[in-house]
Amino acid sequence: MVELVPTLLRQELSRLAEDDLRLDGRGQWEGRELTLETDCLYNAEGSAKVVMGDTIVYAGVKFELRTPWPDRPAQGSLMCGAELRPVAHRKYEPGPPSPQSIELGRVVDRGIRESGCIDMESLCIVPGEKVWGVMIDIHVLSDGGNIFDACGLAAIAALRTAVVPAERFDVGEDYTLKVKGTPIMASFTRVGGRYVYDPSEEEELGGDERIHITLGDEGHLHSLQKGLRGVFTPAEFAEIFGVAHLRCVELRKLVAIQEGN
Amino acid sequence: MGGYGDVRLLREDGLRLDGRKLDEMRPMTIEAGVLPAADGSAMVTHGLNVAVAAVYGPMEAHPRKIQRQDRAVIDVRYNMAPFSTSDRIRPGFNRRSREISKVTAEALESVVLCERYPRSKIRVEIEILAAEAGTRCAGLTAAAVALADAGIPMRDLIVGVASGKVEGIVVLDLDKAEDNYGQADLPVGILPNTGEIAFLQMDGDLSPDEYNLAMEYNFKAAAEIHEIMVDALKRRYEGGEN
Repeated sequence: MVELVPTLLRQELSRLAEDDLRLDGRGQWEGRELTLETDCLYNAEGSAKVVMGDTIVYAGVKFELRTPWPDRPAQGSLMCGAELRPVAHRKYEPGPPSPQSIELGRVVDRGIRESGCIDMESLCIVPGEKVWGVMIDIHVLSDGGNIFDACGLAAIAALRTAVVPAERFDVGEDYTLKVKGTPIMASFTRVGGRYVYDPSEEEELGGDERIHITLGDEGHLHSLQKGLRGVFTPAEFAEIFGVAHLRCVELRKLVAIQEGN
Repeated sequence: MGGYGDVRLLREDGLRLDGRKLDEMRPMTIEAGVLPAADGSAMVTHGLNVAVAAVYGPMEAHPRKIQRQDRAVIDVRYNMAPFSTSDRIRPGFNRRSREISKVTAEALESVVLCERYPRSKIRVEIEILAAEAGTRCAGLTAAAVALADAGIPMRDLIVGVASGKVEGIVVLDLDKAEDNYGQADLPVGILPNTGEIAFLQMDGDLSPDEYNLAMEYNFKAAAEIHEIMVDALKRRYEGGEN
């Protein structure tokens, strides 16, 4: 599809930025309304739905028995993948996974994996022979901007509700997967020359580079990614890092509240 | 179909394992306009099935070779999410989803006034989020509501509905166990206003009489489902939204 150069949109966004305004009236660091639902998909061992403005994302967790990697005989495995299917936006075309969806899946994967919230050894059943493979599949149904944060949140929320289907695989009783920690992603896009949190679809279209920050429970960094064309200064990073920290604490509380229900 | 004669699917009292009567369908809900990014969309829950359809277009048809000079083509993709079934499905198309996509597209082309949009394409994306037998019908129903939600002119809606046979008895709307261990499945797409059929598949073993009864059940259920579809579209547009 021909993408029209959104020159007018860029001009409008720059004009708004001068007065510290955004297209939808939000403040620079203000997120859109967000809802999180868990345990919403039959057949998935853990699931979550995230709605953020016009963005809708589902994540589902499945388990399979597999033989461990030869160099890690007592560890299970974790895999997180995202699909940007044509259902999500007219700009997505059918075909093999695009570089975009691979980047998305891998950034979410790193945030969860590197936070250490899953103890890989706890996924071992018989060392060298049989371990659990945990697979998180993220399905974007509607791309209304900032799918990275929506995917990250859906993935960890789904994982935290997952029940290991041991009975179905004849290896003991079902049990809740042990997940210590809730890594949360916060994303920023440069719009009209300055960064904003939680960009909308239009802000992404008329914006520049983006930065994704995933923080663990202790506020430590677990995944960073800069995407698209553009550069930033250390001072700019310091500012958004502070915002990310506050936002991650809020979202972590939201996940905890959802689990309490 | 079949092959497991020792699995009981009907109870002593003649009801089915989940307590339904022979001609009773699983509960269904439909919501139109669920996906903000799409031009039209719908979500159908039917029993434990969850199907979502998005419509994009009419838009330029490409590659050029798919263009028709006199009408629009409908490009359907039926896809099961990796987590939609008991065992994870590897992402990507397989023979089953390609076939379902093809016959669903042809059914929808039978009701959409394609000649209004020469050389264009209407994309219909069907995503199955949870599967418990009957996903192609739920997907077809969702697609029809999504097309209407997108404001695309159609002769009629299409209702996806199926009947089948378990333990030699014709029943409406097979669930997972009945689908796995039953003897026949007859999914159809019915035009509720004209009574015509735009989608037809079947596998298993049905006598002519059983076929007629299964179709009778299908038509009766189609009228019920049609009401739910119309209601979903009314709710979407009566509230003053859009």
